[in-house]
Amino acid sequence: MIEIHHLYKQFENDAYVLEDINLMIDRGEFVFIVGSSGAGKSTLLRLLLREILPTRGMIKVFGRDLARLRKREVPYLRRNIGMVFQDFRLLEDRNVFENVAFSLRVIGVSTREINKRVPLALELVGLKGKALRNPGELSGGEQQRVCVARAVVNRPAVVLADEPTGNLDPDTSMEIMKLFQDINIRGTTVVVATHAKELVDHFQKRVVVLGKNRVVSDRERGVYLHAH
Amino acid sequence: MHIRSLFYFLGEAFKNIARNGWMSVASVGVVSITLLILGSFVVLSFNVDLATHDLKEQVQIVLYINERAGEDTRAELHAKLVAHPGLAEVRYVSRADAMARLKEKLGDRSNLLEGYEEPEDNPLRDSYELRTAIPEEIPAVAKEIKSYPGAAEVDYGSGVVEPLFQFTGLVRWIGLAFMAGLAVTTVFLIAHTIRLTVYLRRKEIMIMKYVGATDWFIRWPFLFEGLILGMIGAVIPVFIIFYGYQEAALWMQNNIYFVSLLPPEKIIEVIARILIPLGVALGIIGSTISVRRFLKV
Repeated sequence: MIEIHHLYKQFENDAYVLEDINLMIDRGEFVFIVGSSGAGKSTLLRLLLREILPTRGMIKVFGRDLARLRKREVPYLRRNIGMVFQDFRLLEDRNVFENVAFSLRVIGVSTREINKRVPLALELVGLKGKALRNPGELSGGEQQRVCVARAVVNRPAVVLADEPTGNLDPDTSMEIMKLFQDINIRGTTVVVATHAKELVDHFQKRVVVLGKNRVVSDRERGVYLHAH
Repeated sequence: MHIRSLFYFLGEAFKNIARNGWMSVASVGVVSITLLILGSFVVLSFNVDLATHDLKEQVQIVLYINERAGEDTRAELHAKLVAHPGLAEVRYVSRADAMARLKEKLGDRSNLLEGYEEPEDNPLRDSYELRTAIPEEIPAVAKEIKSYPGAAEVDYGSGVVEPLFQFTGLVRWIGLAFMAGLAVTTVFLIAHTIRLTVYLRRKEIMIMKYVGATDWFIRWPFLFEGLILGMIGAVIPVFIIFYGYQEAALWMQNNIYFVSLLPPEKIIEVIARILIPLGVALGIIGSTISVRRFLKV
């Protein structure tokens, strides 16, 4: 589902942010990408979303070489990838329902379909009763749940999360991670970039460690390793 | 475009306008004020044109025929004048006609002409009254026909006509420069105002990009928003100009009656035809420029 071969990324003429990355992620996997700040985790996710292009090497998502993807094909790639951010990125001026519905509306889904799918997504993340609340009235954990609901409401094949628990307390973080696990159990591939050691150690999933801009370890049922 | 999408875009455009209430008011205000100035100037220049047109129409060339010219020379002169491409009107005025006209002009004091009325006593000369197709060409045409056979003298109010034409030419050029400058300023101001509303919604645009909205899907609501704001911004000055002009025209009629103005009904049509498409175009251009930068995610 995701294939990365000898990938290099450099911004302008700065040093390489990613060097010789090789990574294969299959359908249905749950992968933690760990590493300290600046290790290149976010850059890797941005490459997968085709927000940026690799400097060298190949990156394939759903069998498509992203470097060769035409600009107008990019939106259709992204419709199959759900994205969760550390800072939630919710629209403060509309309620929970509208925030989740937004990602369907802007890809032309009918209102009838939206009214069917949004409640299901909210139920999945445990926010059934808070559809009409505004994001500002919710706790951090609840806001992140809205963000997850928005990412999965279009039933993407992959969910990418960039430090999803970065702004949350340990207990809430654990709940959000469990949510990702639930989503993964339903068949969605989940890739979580994080530096939350306890969580990674707890879940016993595949762990890819980025250190000094390279993959230094890639193990099934791994634990958080420091790359030094 | 799918009809459902069209409604969505329009709905979003109106929602955005309402959501950014004060920003929308500011955009409409900017468009209205600039178009109001532009429109007022158009009205003014139309009326200056009308006034100077009247004035210019009154300017004519008078060619006096040499009294010693024979029938052949007179016929040749007539043929040459009629054939001249720059002349729109050629009218022969005989000595007798000229005398009759003078008598009418003097009215009560026509007794001054006693003793000059008989043909053999008439001191006036046969002449041609000529109008050029383009008033500005009068001096050149006058100079040319002065050398025609049988022409004794050519008079066109030289010394008065040239400054008049210079003045109206200057007014026109200043007007054009002024209007071009205003149009550029308007585009600039609208682009900036709409850029601010786009900037306020950069988060929304970013999310749209992340969830896979196409660039056109993102652009349409902003284009409609620009179009709507531009249109409202244009309709307001059209009405202000119409009612303002009506009042001004009424006042002019009562106080400075000798100045003729274009009728208000005609003005609103001209102004609406200029300002509304201009407002719509400016709104669309402004939003296009503004959205472009935020689509690069």
